[in-house]
Amino acid sequence: MTDVANEPRGPGTLSTIVRSLEFRMFCLALTLAIILSLSSPFFLTERNIFNILDQSVVIGIVAVGMTFVILTGGIDLSVGAVFGLAGIVLAQLLQTMPVPLAIPLAVLAGAGIGLFSGVLVAVFGLAPFVVTLGVMAIGRSLSFIFSGQRSISGLPEGLDSIVYSSFLGIPANVLFLIGLYLCAWGYLSYAKGGRTIYAIGSNKEAARAAGLSVTFYSVLPYVVSGALAAVAVTFSLAQVMSADPMAGSGLELDAIAAVVIGGASLYGGRGTLIGTLFGVLIMVMIRNGLNLMGVSPFWQGTAIGSIIILALLAERLITWRSART
Amino acid sequence: MHQSQTRAEPLLTARGVSKSFGKTQALTDASLALRPGEIVGLLGANGAGKSTLSRIISGHLRPSGGDIAFGGTPLALTSTRDALRRGIALVAQETSLAPDMTVLENIFLPDLATPGRLSFRAMRDRAGELLSGLGHEHVLPLDAEVRLLSAAQKQLVEIAKALALDARLVIFDEPTASLSMTEVNRLFDIMARLRDGGRALAFVSHRLEEVFAITDRVTILREGLAVAEDVATSTLTQGDIIQHMVGRDIGAIYTKRTAADTVVQDIAFEVRGLSSAPYVRDMSFAVRKGEILGLGGLVGAGRSEAVEAIWGLRARQGGEILVHGKPVTFRKPADAVRAGLGFVAEDRRAQNIVPDMSVRENLMLAQMGQHRGFGRGYGKRSAQMTQLIADLGLPADRLDTSLLNYSGGMQQKIIIARWLLTDPEILILDEPTKGVDIGTRSSIYSILQSAADAGLAVIVISSDFEELLGLAERIVVVSDGYTIADLPAARLTEEKLTLLAAPRTSTARNQALLRALAQDYDADAFWTLIDGEELICLAQAGRSLAGLPPGEALRAEETNVSVALAARHDDFVTEADGDRQTLLVQMTDKRGHDLGWIGVTVAGDATVPPSDEIRARVQALLHAEEESA
Repeated sequence: MTDVANEPRGPGTLSTIVRSLEFRMFCLALTLAIILSLSSPFFLTERNIFNILDQSVVIGIVAVGMTFVILTGGIDLSVGAVFGLAGIVLAQLLQTMPVPLAIPLAVLAGAGIGLFSGVLVAVFGLAPFVVTLGVMAIGRSLSFIFSGQRSISGLPEGLDSIVYSSFLGIPANVLFLIGLYLCAWGYLSYAKGGRTIYAIGSNKEAARAAGLSVTFYSVLPYVVSGALAAVAVTFSLAQVMSADPMAGSGLELDAIAAVVIGGASLYGGRGTLIGTLFGVLIMVMIRNGLNLMGVSPFWQGTAIGSIIILALLAERLITWRSART
Repeated sequence: MHQSQTRAEPLLTARGVSKSFGKTQALTDASLALRPGEIVGLLGANGAGKSTLSRIISGHLRPSGGDIAFGGTPLALTSTRDALRRGIALVAQETSLAPDMTVLENIFLPDLATPGRLSFRAMRDRAGELLSGLGHEHVLPLDAEVRLLSAAQKQLVEIAKALALDARLVIFDEPTASLSMTEVNRLFDIMARLRDGGRALAFVSHRLEEVFAITDRVTILREGLAVAEDVATSTLTQGDIIQHMVGRDIGAIYTKRTAADTVVQDIAFEVRGLSSAPYVRDMSFAVRKGEILGLGGLVGAGRSEAVEAIWGLRARQGGEILVHGKPVTFRKPADAVRAGLGFVAEDRRAQNIVPDMSVRENLMLAQMGQHRGFGRGYGKRSAQMTQLIADLGLPADRLDTSLLNYSGGMQQKIIIARWLLTDPEILILDEPTKGVDIGTRSSIYSILQSAADAGLAVIVISSDFEELLGLAERIVVVSDGYTIADLPAARLTEEKLTLLAAPRTSTARNQALLRALAQDYDADAFWTLIDGEELICLAQAGRSLAGLPPGEALRAEETNVSVALAARHDDFVTEADGDRQTLLVQMTDKRGHDLGWIGVTVAGDATVPPSDEIRARVQALLHAEEESA
């Protein structure tokens, strides 16, 4: 074959890793960690590291669902509201039933809301932004109604055990987070469904023509996202032992930011869970570091926003340069 | 009839125009001259560059080279707005109208870009003037939204829009494709008025009958080159034009089996009476195991739409699909994939490639669609894939790099391999060599050939007739959404294929006449083109006496009516054996161009129908057309 000579040479494994976006995000996280540990003596302590991991659990879980959705080229603005609503639902259920029954029901409620959004997006072809915006408004409003406009406290003892038990010195919620990332990464990389999600985001027409189940796997990410928002609120409730109808407001933006910092394309088809994990860690580290340094919480938004924009800008400049060479 | 001894100076002259899109050279050396008071037909086969040239002249595209002068000064357009400002307008297939605005607003859309207040009253008066100048003041409600109009009305709005800018040069790009016969005649009436008003017009069309009906001169392009320039239409025949369009350039890149090599196998896949509005009207074809079937026709004839309808990507209104003789319905592509079909869609980027995935994942995509289970199912195919990529000449160590790094030809081979990996029994390929270099083409041909040798039923859609004739054993010709002929490739030439594929506005009308004649005289009625000794039968009705099946290309002596064909007498002619009597009536349009012959054959012992009456009926048909014009 003559046309082979013109084809590119396959890059080596090392250069593939170095050139990957996850690696650059890893470097960014590392740099941040070094800067923060230099500027605060409390940053690099065992206690603070567990603190960071603990703070990563809620946003980390929600970001997994968001990664699924964004990979298909969609967006889920409703996760914060679903988080709040599922929290109220769980708290109300816990008044009458035991923990092992209440949690699955709350997760099912979250999945149901996701199914609703997913069907509207994938079957009826509505814009994900608008659908989930509507669901966000409905969810928040329902959580006020179901809660009677107040926080619900007095949750049963035993709920907190899902956070305050540990294995090999690692808290249960952190273990859950690690397990979730491993499972989800395996699914997205090696299962037919996961690859279909990537293919849908990259070229839906080609995926359909190749006989993939485009509709089913366009709905699934929203279901996952809704269910995981409910899982996340379970861990949150176990820590604070009360459910607030306003809980999770702004959570959707944090989750989207983490996914985007992690290198996913909002057009779909590109991004990894490893990237999302680094995105989550970067966000949490900045918050944590700024707190340690005593920076006013009002400045934290500016800091995080700037880092998101700088990360994307740097990424774009690198892509341009590599496109030119 | 428009005739002038001294011709006006050209309004527009284009010399040596070239245009390339990346590596594809759409135009190499195109020339065109348009004069005030003349209609020039711009002709050429699929991909000859007609539309590219029109789009350059109207400012949609910028040429890569060549000189264009307009009104004596060099023309370098920067945009369509620039072109409109100078008085050059394009009336295209897909209209450039704003569907949610009214007719009036659309006609004066370019005025919205000028500063100052708009006077709707003045606009209304002017629109009335323009439309009455076109003879159509009552056909167009000025306040109707454009999306509610018919295709013909939209076109009228486009024309009025061009005239509102006082366009001196109007290019009509395939304007008649979606019009009925009456609408076509009305359009021609408008075009004639514009010409007589001293405007320069270009008419881009595949329809030879229409070219003969309306143009004064023609320019013919072939592969981006002007091969006949500014020739008077009256001096040309259909055969001349097709000769120019096709040319001769047969390479030895096809490795075709001869018919003798193949044993007739079972029909693997069949489509009967498929319809899918608006492009697919009535299509039927069948392909056998181990056979390569070509679907030939012009771009827009409905071939791609038909296979997309089969594949479950478009709604079907009617028709049956049979796989190995069993009726099936594919509601979504997954159904077709699992039934053992493969489909390489026409648009590589939009329909086939998954850009963010590696070569391996792109290769495995269709088998993943076929695979039932939780995992990707890569394992069971890996040995097969290793073999396949070796056959393709793709090194195994680059499987995990991006597909986008490869040339278009290699990408296409990978997409074909994607489907071969699913072990299909039927493989449909839509324009498999579009935008592919010649070297890769021949390797795609041999991939398809060996797939067929292995027992696959292959259907290839191609607008490249040379390729189709070289690759396919049998060709089904599609025109205007109908399958009109089904012939062994060996009996076809590019000229015959071009003639058969040409959409004919008069088809429906002529078929009705044939049916009436066949019934009234208990006869075999046929419509055929006669070119020397060669015949191409376009339609037939009634008893089978004359031996001219529709869609067949024959020599006169191969028919049962060779004596009559040789004589072409005014009255019925009896064959040598006395078995048949045949009358032939030539159809000519009002400008004297040959539209083919109507033949009526009755049995030798039958009473001879009145030949005057038949001639009168044919004439009445032609006359009716002129009346309505």
